[in-house]
Amino acid sequence: MTTSTTGIPLAPEPTAAAPRRATRRPGIGTVLRWEVAKLVAQARSRYALLVCLLAPIVIVLVFNGQQQTPSDTIYGRQIHTSGYAAPLFILAFGSQWIFPMLAALVAGDIFASEDHHGTWKTILTRSVTRSQIFWGKALTATLFTVLSLVVLAASTIGSSLLIIGTQPLVGLGGQLIPSGSALGLVLASWGTALAPQIGFTALSLLLSVKTRNPAAGVAVPVALSLVMQLVGTLGGIDLTRKFLLTTPLDSWHGLLAEHPFYGPLTFGLAVSVGWTAVCLAFAYFSLRRSDITGG
Amino acid sequence: MIRTRLLVRGLVLAAAVAAVAASTAAGTPDITRTRVEQALAPTFANLYVQQAAILGIPGITVSGIDASAACDRGGPKVADVGPGTDWICMVSFNDDNHQLQIGKFEVQIRADSTYVAGGPSKIIGLATITDKKTQQDVPNPVFEFDGTLNPDQP
Repeated sequence: MTTSTTGIPLAPEPTAAAPRRATRRPGIGTVLRWEVAKLVAQARSRYALLVCLLAPIVIVLVFNGQQQTPSDTIYGRQIHTSGYAAPLFILAFGSQWIFPMLAALVAGDIFASEDHHGTWKTILTRSVTRSQIFWGKALTATLFTVLSLVVLAASTIGSSLLIIGTQPLVGLGGQLIPSGSALGLVLASWGTALAPQIGFTALSLLLSVKTRNPAAGVAVPVALSLVMQLVGTLGGIDLTRKFLLTTPLDSWHGLLAEHPFYGPLTFGLAVSVGWTAVCLAFAYFSLRRSDITGG
Repeated sequence: MIRTRLLVRGLVLAAAVAAVAASTAAGTPDITRTRVEQALAPTFANLYVQQAAILGIPGITVSGIDASAACDRGGPKVADVGPGTDWICMVSFNDDNHQLQIGKFEVQIRADSTYVAGGPSKIIGLATITDKKTQQDVPNPVFEFDGTLNPDQP
């Protein structure tokens, strides 16, 4: 309660504030709070985060105990010689399909589950608008994507450094990178995955709205990412390749060159922003205009 | 209503196909002979210095090695651009005994501009070498190595 300088409670204020609070309409914040509460209660999202936390530790332990190196993925050859190589190897491997799947896991389900459970009418009769529900749900899915990437990165980098060690890293130009700057480069490399991951989240949101089917909302973005990955391995389509959403996931390579280059990184950022904007716009207008009668 | 929606979808699809076709036609290759040569030679030199350090050979520097590469893809009939497992690079350098060596490296280049290069063990040694300080077998850094081309350079 507010008090005046003399210590006497200011009587009119609470009575004036109370009715104002009662009439204030709920906004995106309310939707966000409810969506987060639903997510926390959901077994799938909790287990996904738990896997993000524990799987890297197991993977690093298993690879560390083996003589062979997974040398067909970049930095696989070096995983025994430096604790900074293993996180880069897992980053390269994870971006093949694990990252898109993490982005789709919540985003692909968040709109379609309302269709699945027939609960659109229930939430739309509350005093929030469709736009507020859209942005609240989109924000929740993005938060989950960011959180899963952060947990995965922290667990991978932490367990690699603890289990394998902090030996200097050999860069992609053959240069020896001392331990201190290697950590910064590894963190930055993982950071570059953030923009394409948000792009995949937006793509999954669009498919979630469009298909109205939770299974399709999660599976189709993963399948699309595999198709893009496959198209990206073809030669002779270098310009097309640059516009795929999977290409920015490779842009960290430039950071580890002897003379770092940032062209693919900046272009990849623009491509990710473009995909995000287009997917969100289509999803938004699709939801605004969609005919919700069932349920 | 349904007809207009179908029309819009058809137009969007056609535009997407046209965009892909146009970008394919307009694109310049990311992977070129010059970029491969300029990436491979300094990377090899850096790694050769590390090998010398493991073997305990003094006085080996990047400038002393003076590595250069001449690359070709798939013989004279294939254009020297694009990803593939059929890139061959002749790397010339001064070895530990300051003798000029020319080694044939097989280079596999991926579409993302990264590559794996492997050289002849007669010149660069076996897959594992013995660390002079610890007397333990360690991987030979130049036996097979990852690297990246720089798509920003001409």
